[in-house]
Amino acid sequence: MMERDGFSEAAHRYLDGDPGQAAELGLDERAAADRLASAAGAYAARLEPLAATLDQRVMSAVLAKAGGRERRSGVRWLFAPRTVRVRPVWIPALVAAAALVLWLLPRAPAVPAAPERGATVTPVAAVMPDTVYVHFELVAPQAHSVAVAGTFNGWRVGALEMTRRGDGLWSVTAPLPVGEHRYDFVVDGTHWVPDPTAHIQVEDGFGGRNSVIVVGPRGLVRS
Amino acid sequence: MEPSDGAVVRRVLAGEVAQYRILVERYRAEFGRYALAAVGDRDAAEDAMQEAFIRAFDALATCREPERFGAWFFRILTNQCRNAVARRRETVSLDDLDPPGRDRADAALDREELGAALEAALARLTPEQREAFVMKHVEGRSYEEMAEMLGVGVDALKMRVHRARDAMRAMMGAMR
Repeated sequence: MMERDGFSEAAHRYLDGDPGQAAELGLDERAAADRLASAAGAYAARLEPLAATLDQRVMSAVLAKAGGRERRSGVRWLFAPRTVRVRPVWIPALVAAAALVLWLLPRAPAVPAAPERGATVTPVAAVMPDTVYVHFELVAPQAHSVAVAGTFNGWRVGALEMTRRGDGLWSVTAPLPVGEHRYDFVVDGTHWVPDPTAHIQVEDGFGGRNSVIVVGPRGLVRS
Repeated sequence: MEPSDGAVVRRVLAGEVAQYRILVERYRAEFGRYALAAVGDRDAAEDAMQEAFIRAFDALATCREPERFGAWFFRILTNQCRNAVARRRETVSLDDLDPPGRDRADAALDREELGAALEAALARLTPEQREAFVMKHVEGRSYEEMAEMLGVGVDALKMRVHRARDAMRAMMGAMR
């Protein structure tokens, strides 16, 4: 059937862009060639570009792979932001010793009965003029694991794991350099959750949001 | 000014993984319509594109000409599209695709119908014929450009396009 219904060489040259071949074609073949070209144009017009959400899916997978590589090889990879949920609360301090003291002090529950997830970030103490201990907390009773990922640890999912308390409060303390930081909570290794109570949130470039904290030499400037 | 492909590739390899997004945005826009036309299904095309980007990332260190990342990536993409077509043919009957019958040869197909008829006929081509036809007639590329992107000779590509046209003319009786 293909041989019978196929185009002549002249028709192929015509379809390849040689209009001079038109005179060599019979009316039927010329019409068939024109219709094929027209159909291709109509089909092209129907094609919508692939959605930009694809970019986020790719980057999530790539960043996860990069994190695995780093853990295996020790190579430093930078991670892109994701989503989170945190509420920073600050207790600025001045010296490294104070951090240990404060860490041992009993603290009132920082997180009230919250929805499934909520969190606090509590700067505990400054260890150096340009470094401050920050205490992160997140209420996530249903979670199996929670970590903090941000600009301060290269957005590595496993770099700052939180510890679970019996009531579902996850927490961790980490030294952060003075400056502005973006962060997210990573729940169960895959869910990036922005801090709903953070005063500052910014687009993460992948359709989600990052929370922002600003650490000053004397403690939290803004969260 | 947007960084060159080579600059981005070098940054990613140096550890700035988030920079890979620049290439993803760039070539999702550049080749997205190709993937859609080559696979014939939006979800499957997106999956193929996603897998191609991930494979390219995994093999980025082997990209010998980072400035030509796009051409290198395109070949990975074409392989993923072929795989997607093969998987799709295992699950979708060609009979479900509804090309116009010959009894409609005299009917006046409007532009929308023409596009739909071509889509149905594309699904019956071999993957190689389909990608060649799409590049030539849907994307409007020259044979030389196609040869550069696919790493296949011009004569071989002309043969694929010609066979694709012949098959499509046979299938699309309404176009005669």
